[in-house]
Amino acid sequence: MVTAGAHGAEHKYLAVRAYLTELVAGELAVGDAVPSERSLTEKFGVSRMTVRQAVDALVTEGVLERVQGRGTFVAPPRADFEMRLTTFGEEARRRGLTPGADVLEAGTRPAPPHVAEALDCEPATPMHHVVRLRTTDGNPMSVEESWIPVHLVPGLLDDGVPESLYGALRAHGLDPTWGEETITAADGTDEERERLQMRGTHAVMRAARRTFGGEAPLMYSRACYRGDRYSVFVPLREARPTIVPRTTGTPRAGRVFEGSPR
Amino acid sequence: MTQPDDPDARLAAAILAGLGGVENIEEIDPCTTRLRSLVKDPALVDSAGLRRAGAFGVMTHGRVVQVVLGPRVDTIASDLADLM
Repeated sequence: MVTAGAHGAEHKYLAVRAYLTELVAGELAVGDAVPSERSLTEKFGVSRMTVRQAVDALVTEGVLERVQGRGTFVAPPRADFEMRLTTFGEEARRRGLTPGADVLEAGTRPAPPHVAEALDCEPATPMHHVVRLRTTDGNPMSVEESWIPVHLVPGLLDDGVPESLYGALRAHGLDPTWGEETITAADGTDEERERLQMRGTHAVMRAARRTFGGEAPLMYSRACYRGDRYSVFVPLREARPTIVPRTTGTPRAGRVFEGSPR
Repeated sequence: MTQPDDPDARLAAAILAGLGGVENIEEIDPCTTRLRSLVKDPALVDSAGLRRAGAFGVMTHGRVVQVVLGPRVDTIASDLADLM
């Protein structure tokens, strides 16, 4: 082997990675510890760096997770959500940023038609309505408007706007479990650009989200993110096979039919 | 065909009925939170029935009918395939 060094190391890295992937798929369950770096080093006769590289790659992919001071474990599957159902604060903290919120409006308002439709309730149903400027490290990032049916949590805003609306819902036994979000590019309005202190580009991203807790819609929210400071990360996976009636003949597994919105 | 005890099989059967029956379906594409179906005749789709069965929304564009179900799509996809 002419380039034994480089190719050998690459091969070993892949072997460790494949071994761990197989362990996760087979023997190990969510939350189980993976073998120690040291035992992997011995088993494969590779350097600790190679082992770490393989573990790092699986941590990045979300297959494993590191818990500080405790070790590396099999991560819970994330297949349930295409984009994660997290809040601005949670996302910011995970990126090492300090989240903040300036409350611009807070009160009770009758649901406008589009909100009533999104939350599957009668028009003019009383809603908690909150508009906040979200910041990271003190810099404006987005304007968020949220609507939560009053009857779900009547006293939600009694002590002011909670730091996290999801957190407040959870505290009342209404855990957000899934949602759907639509993201659209747009030019920000004068008011939005003023609030977001945007200079230069006018581009914003608008995100409309319905949050559900099990069987009930909990919240409808619209956020306007400044286009120059924010990216959306979407984990992708293979589409499930298309289901066709057996009677129509040949199955066309995985085919995307023309005109199908995705 | 349906197992009355199994809520997923029951939901799958109710959805197929709401889409106008197996005969009305060309294909169903299970996404993460929605079933996107191509039907032969959209007039046979019973939106109210789909909502009653547990859908959080039904959107129709031409012959494409989207049924919003949430993560249950995952568990009923195989039940749908069994019934079709």
